[in-house]
Amino acid sequence: MRTSIMSQMQRSFSIELPKLVPLQLPSRMETHLWYVIPDEVKSTSLLKQYSQLLSPPENDKVLQMRGDKLQKNALLARTLVRTTIARYQTNNGVDPRTLMFKKNMYGKPEVDWQNYKNCSDPPLHFNISHTDSLVACGVTLHVPVGIDLEDKDRKIKHDVLTLAERFYSTDEVTFLSTIPDPEVQRKEFIKLWTLKEAYVKALGKGFSAAPFNTFTIQFKAGTNGGYNLCKEETKKCNRDWKFGLLELADSHYAAVCIEDDQARAPMRVIVRKTIPFVEDELISESKFL
Amino acid sequence: MASLSTTSLSFKAPSTRISQVLKKGSSFQSVTFGRFTSSTSKSLRLQISCAAKAETVQKVSDIVKEQLALTADTPLTAESKFTALGADSLDTVEIVMALEEKFNISVEESDAQNITTIQEAADLIEDLVQKKPAA
Repeated sequence: MRTSIMSQMQRSFSIELPKLVPLQLPSRMETHLWYVIPDEVKSTSLLKQYSQLLSPPENDKVLQMRGDKLQKNALLARTLVRTTIARYQTNNGVDPRTLMFKKNMYGKPEVDWQNYKNCSDPPLHFNISHTDSLVACGVTLHVPVGIDLEDKDRKIKHDVLTLAERFYSTDEVTFLSTIPDPEVQRKEFIKLWTLKEAYVKALGKGFSAAPFNTFTIQFKAGTNGGYNLCKEETKKCNRDWKFGLLELADSHYAAVCIEDDQARAPMRVIVRKTIPFVEDELISESKFL
Repeated sequence: MASLSTTSLSFKAPSTRISQVLKKGSSFQSVTFGRFTSSTSKSLRLQISCAAKAETVQKVSDIVKEQLALTADTPLTAESKFTALGADSLDTVEIVMALEEKFNISVEESDAQNITTIQEAADLIEDLVQKKPAA
């Protein structure tokens, strides 16, 4: 049954892959956040299997990264996307090697579902982010998603307020300048950076469509990590976008942004740590208003 | 006679810089040289400013190495993409700011977004430095 799809592919699929455990689709207003800790993936034979999942252009891109560590992280990022998306397909599992990807007209990567015309699964949305020490992928159903990671201890070489004055909105600068402790100020700057990046990535229209200083993301007092998106010019806030900010692996801030599907319901984020083909671990479930 | 001397003058000034363009390599085809005869002096200058000095490229590389905390053995060339060196968007912003401080220039956000390699950064820097009014 799958041989017709396979015959369209140029690559040889004679190599057997371990089975992937299927996953239940995310429900409405839910983001599944998956992460891999590169240092925990040590087996060279496992990494070899991962590289067999990638398309030739993807492998080329991995090899263009300068240095072993960066190459490994790039490999893990593509592996995480392919295996995760494949696991959500309910029709007897999909070979992760057969997934195809394309870019929207602004360059945002998305799954190319053209080979799955008979597939009745609704399209999944995904977004990846990675740092030196963490690789993550957010998955949603029906709604665009953007995620961004930053190392909590990331050193900022320039003065935080100088950076904010140049790149952030006036309300955000005001917020940061009222923080007396420089360490707390640095952390809040980074949290804001991840939230703003996550929004731009969810929007999927490139950075020039939403320059950082044209919008404010403000914390909603008295809620569980909820944020509002407001336009700098008009100060108007809109509820079309939901944000969540979490800490991952004790080392990173992770921001998640999805477009509200008119449910006006809280966003749930389910975090799982994984090593593809090996194991999954449920880490947390959070609600963001 | 008078008209002959004016035509010969229009080629004198750029001749030393053309040799720099030739050294850059295969990206310039012979067709480009055909355009030199009829192009305006403005487009002539744009062709020449593509080859940034090696010194500028070195300074940019040093700043990038520092910002990204690259080890000494990381392979780095002028064509290296920032993303291939592990830079994320915050790194790129800090790199551009460090370049502004080093070269005493100001980079527009739209220009900053188009910088993806060390060579591109060096080219933009030289362009901006040239445009600055004389001190």
